[in-house]
Amino acid sequence: MTESRTTAAHGGAIGLHGIKKWFGNFQAVDNVTLDIRPNEFFTLLGPSGCGKTTLLRMIAGFEMPTEGQVLLDGADISGLLPNQRPVNTVFQNYALFPHLTVAENIGFGLKMLGRPKAEITSVVNDMLKLVHLDGRGHNPVTQLSGGQQQRVALARALAPRPKVLLLDEPLSALDLKLRKSMQIELKRLQLETGITFVFVTHDQEEALTMSDRIAVMSAGTVRQVGSPWDIYDRPAERFVADFIGETNFLSADVVSVADNRARVRLSSGAEISASFPADVTPSGSVTVVVRPEHARAGAPTDTSALRGVVHDIVYLGTDTHVHVHLDDGSAFMVRQQNARSGHCGFSKGDTVGIDFSDDVAQILRD
Amino acid sequence: MNGAEQVAIEARKQDIRSRWILSAPALIIIFVAAIGPLFVMLLYSFLVKGDYGDVKPWEFSLDGWTSVFFQRDIFDDTLGLADAHISIIWRSIQLSFFTTILTLILGFPTAYFIATRPPHTREIWVFLVTIPFWTNLLIRTFAMQQVIRNEGLLNNALIWLGIIKSPLQIIYTDTANLLGMTYVYLPLMVLPLYASIEKLDFRLVEAGYDLYATRFQVLRKIVIPLVKPGIIAGSILVFIPSLGAYVIPRVLGGGKNMMLGNLIEMQFGAGRNWPLGAAMSITLMILVMVALIVYVRNASRGGSGHV
Repeated sequence: MTESRTTAAHGGAIGLHGIKKWFGNFQAVDNVTLDIRPNEFFTLLGPSGCGKTTLLRMIAGFEMPTEGQVLLDGADISGLLPNQRPVNTVFQNYALFPHLTVAENIGFGLKMLGRPKAEITSVVNDMLKLVHLDGRGHNPVTQLSGGQQQRVALARALAPRPKVLLLDEPLSALDLKLRKSMQIELKRLQLETGITFVFVTHDQEEALTMSDRIAVMSAGTVRQVGSPWDIYDRPAERFVADFIGETNFLSADVVSVADNRARVRLSSGAEISASFPADVTPSGSVTVVVRPEHARAGAPTDTSALRGVVHDIVYLGTDTHVHVHLDDGSAFMVRQQNARSGHCGFSKGDTVGIDFSDDVAQILRD
Repeated sequence: MNGAEQVAIEARKQDIRSRWILSAPALIIIFVAAIGPLFVMLLYSFLVKGDYGDVKPWEFSLDGWTSVFFQRDIFDDTLGLADAHISIIWRSIQLSFFTTILTLILGFPTAYFIATRPPHTREIWVFLVTIPFWTNLLIRTFAMQQVIRNEGLLNNALIWLGIIKSPLQIIYTDTANLLGMTYVYLPLMVLPLYASIEKLDFRLVEAGYDLYATRFQVLRKIVIPLVKPGIIAGSILVFIPSLGAYVIPRVLGGGKNMMLGNLIEMQFGAGRNWPLGAAMSITLMILVMVALIVYVRNASRGGSGHV
């Protein structure tokens, strides 16, 4: 058990260089360049049809890039067939072999690699323990529950000790509770095996929970790459800010730029400090984003950054959403955590002032 | 016994009675058209043959059955093996077996090809496969005769291309029987194979490649086990009519290369030995049943788990 984990503790690095992929007249992937580091939990996040699965299938070898290269630890693997790449996939609907038992499924890859029987048996047993299916080796896979099938699919893909594990929305077929526990489980497996995980999902929460780094994709291109914190708190552009979580967009004018902070004047006349993406120098009129939970609503004061009228109050159990119509006509939402039970303190039609700390505003690229 | 119980029993009896009445038409058809004639055949096989065909009613004898495999010597009246019958039965089994293998070899790639086309083009291919069914079997067999006879399409083409000097003797050989049966029964293999390959989840094929299987291993370890029901169905559909083939060996095999079907026909016709013909027919049926049982048993072994 311990031996298998230590020997497997090498994840491969994936390099995608200038990848383009056309299906007939449709361009699925447009000039994607990404470097996925060894031992990393890397997520490709985006809405359906953004090209994330196509990108994954090109790493696996099921699709060939029309242009560009796929590198594994620096070596070009673009021309290799799927069965020649030390990369395994966990498929969206598991794709378990229905005519084989759990153990035969898990051992399939090793058997195809021509490993000795004794080795296959011991690895399969290790894998069964790793995914908490000890003693279920002889069951037909068709008799397992969805969550168990999921874990067999994981064990099957991990058994040959690939350098990179590709996961194509593996949790989408599970119910919410199971999905949550599998998220933790996946993260644990990644840490224990040390294998590089490339995870594809459209679920932002999944991406934020598990990933070391996230690439947000849209329409075949990568919009932003960064840690979950970067992606959530420092979105570089409108698509990323909008796709991940809820957010408020404010128009503002740049007053001054110093180091990596800018002073911007909001429509209300208040000046706040905002950060901006490293590759732009903001000037003129810009869009600033503020996350709802980073804003506070209270009685209006002279120093309030924004002022408006409460339009709606939505109680969500853990939080309360306060929807405000700002004086300039735009909408703004404040999310307050319900630290105490009882009413949030506002009612519809109240005039409120909105404040936020200096480091929460972010200027978008456009 | 109390009243309620009696009522329940009465109701059940009523229920059973109405079921019998409802299924009576089907049962009558089965008895009159299938089981009845079988019993007539069984009875005839134990009767004494008539002088000009037919049988002598209620004169029983085992001659019909013994002459399936044995024959009495004309001079010393000793019982010896009926070599002609045995060789014909053996040829029938061999030819049917090879027909099944050949249709499987030709039909599998065909069915796989059709099943991997885009959905709307699949229908066209399936339609093309069924076109031969529009024509009568006899006419198709004669068409095959035109292709393989000595001055036929195939020989003329080969001579014209300079591959052979004199025509190949294909017609009136076992090869002709094999070619004819393969041609006629191929759709019966392709259609069930297609039906089961079409249901195959091709993500499993991808999973196989992903797990380091070669093309051949994917075929052997994933595709074939999963489409086994189609292979079994197709083989049964081809093997059974092959074993009883009559028209094809008659037209393509000539007089020398008889099959069981022709031998049986001969007993009822020129041979004027109805009991022997009846016994042979039942022998044929037993052969088919034994082959089916052996085949299905073997085929379903090892393919555990999947339904």
